[in-house]
Amino acid sequence: MNELITGFKQMAPSIPYIINGVWVSLGIALGASILGFIGGILLSLCKIGQVKILSGLAHVYTSIFRGTPLILQLAIAYFGIPQLFQMGDVNPLTCAIITFGLNSAAYMSEIIRSGINAVDKGQFEASKALGVSYWPTMKDIILPQAIKNILPAMMNEFITLTKDSAIVSTISVTDMMRRSQIVAANIFSYFPPMLVSLVMYYIIVMALTYLGNRLERRMRRSD
Amino acid sequence: MIKAEHIYKNFGDIHVLKDVSMEVNKGEVVVIIGPSGSGKSTFLRCINLLEEPTKGQVQIDDQNLTELSPKQVVKVREKVGMVFQHFYLFPHKTVLENLIYAPMKVKGLSRDEAVARAKELLKKVGLFDKINQYPNKLSGGQQQRVAIARSLAMEPDYMLFDEPTSALDPEMVKEVLDVIQSLAESGMTMIIVTHEMGFAKMVADKVIFMDDGQILESNTPENFFNHPSTERAKDFLQKIL
Ligand SMILES: Nc1ncnc2c1ncn2[C@@H]1O[C@H](COP(=O)(O)OP(=O)(O)OP(=O)(O)O)[C@@H](O)[C@H]1O
Ligand SMILES: [Mg+2]
Repeated sequence: MNELITGFKQMAPSIPYIINGVWVSLGIALGASILGFIGGILLSLCKIGQVKILSGLAHVYTSIFRGTPLILQLAIAYFGIPQLFQMGDVNPLTCAIITFGLNSAAYMSEIIRSGINAVDKGQFEASKALGVSYWPTMKDIILPQAIKNILPAMMNEFITLTKDSAIVSTISVTDMMRRSQIVAANIFSYFPPMLVSLVMYYIIVMALTYLGNRLERRMRRSD
Repeated sequence: MIKAEHIYKNFGDIHVLKDVSMEVNKGEVVVIIGPSGSGKSTFLRCINLLEEPTKGQVQIDDQNLTELSPKQVVKVREKVGMVFQHFYLFPHKTVLENLIYAPMKVKGLSRDEAVARAKELLKKVGLFDKINQYPNKLSGGQQQRVAIARSLAMEPDYMLFDEPTSALDPEMVKEVLDVIQSLAESGMTMIIVTHEMGFAKMVADKVIFMDDGQILESNTPENFFNHPSTERAKDFLQKIL
């Protein structure tokens, strides 16, 4: 017990250092979400499109990224690929954002596809009957309705990304998780710094959940 | 002029249209009636190629639609407005935005031009005060009138109506039929699928009776309603009147 109290005391000056790691985690989640959203839209359009090759490739892409561990994908992107192509040292943060983005695109594409499918077919027909062609109809009529329907699911994806971002600590990005480990190693006490991280992750996830719910309610009111 | 020649349409093994031919001249109003499942909607949708006929030709003015490239078909659709049973207004756009979207996007109208046209049309259908509302704030009858105005905003030469009042509460049917009737009086060329027999009698130059994927009768409203020549039509009229 005494040990623990000493641990907390020793850790105290490092608390801001650990907590500030949250920006790294959120930054990764945000960067990855943007990439994932754009990639997800492109993939979902390929999947629902008429071009067989594109839809086949999009399905294979999704299947691979969803069918393998993210931590392994990250290791391949950071350790494997640079070595294979002799790229020297790559920036771990950039690498993390891109890998998470590519991974998220796979999940996002399924969410967006279901959102598109949930839009009444009549919307497509009405737009077509007005002489509007496929792409403008997709962009202006179908996607806005689809995205509105799937906002809650996309918020969940963002929350998942925030939590999963902790595994970037394995490629030496100094996110919140990694910072806790560093502090723990310095003071030879694991529990206190990990507890700080745990509480922070939980607060962030609760805050995001709350925001998501508010957004959803706001959306429903405009229906 | 709209001319459909020997249209066949199959969905897999189901033969929905079997050799349907019809001609609509400029300024004419043709009403199509017939039992549920007889292929009326499918036929209407073949005319603007929302549905591709399995066989046969659709001609609009001097263009044979079935020979055109997909891009050209899109172009022809500008000339042919369509109004659906379930309106299909764009729910994320206001009434005004619904009306100006296609004219700006497709016809390249400036926003001012499109808005001016939209305002005029909304006055015509009696909904000017709803201009900034979202569709879900309107009654069914109002939504359908907006949908008609949205079609007219493209200044089509032809209008197709697929049971425009079937999804409406009875008290709203008249306001929509009135708009369609005034369109007919203004000389618009139209094909209307409807179950409103009184309305059909009033506006139609020609009534077409469809059953089981075929046109069984094509006649003036007087002749059709007073002396239907097929048993099927007699049955149908007896049930519906
Ligand atoms: N996309 C489709 N795939 C398969 N079958 C279809 C499709 N569209 C229509 N059908 C079938 O074609 C037949 C005719 O349908 P259609 O909607 O044209 O009839 P309708 O005369 O408009 O009937 P209603 O008065 O009920 O609207 C029906 O049996 C219907 O089930
Ligand atoms: Mg129908």
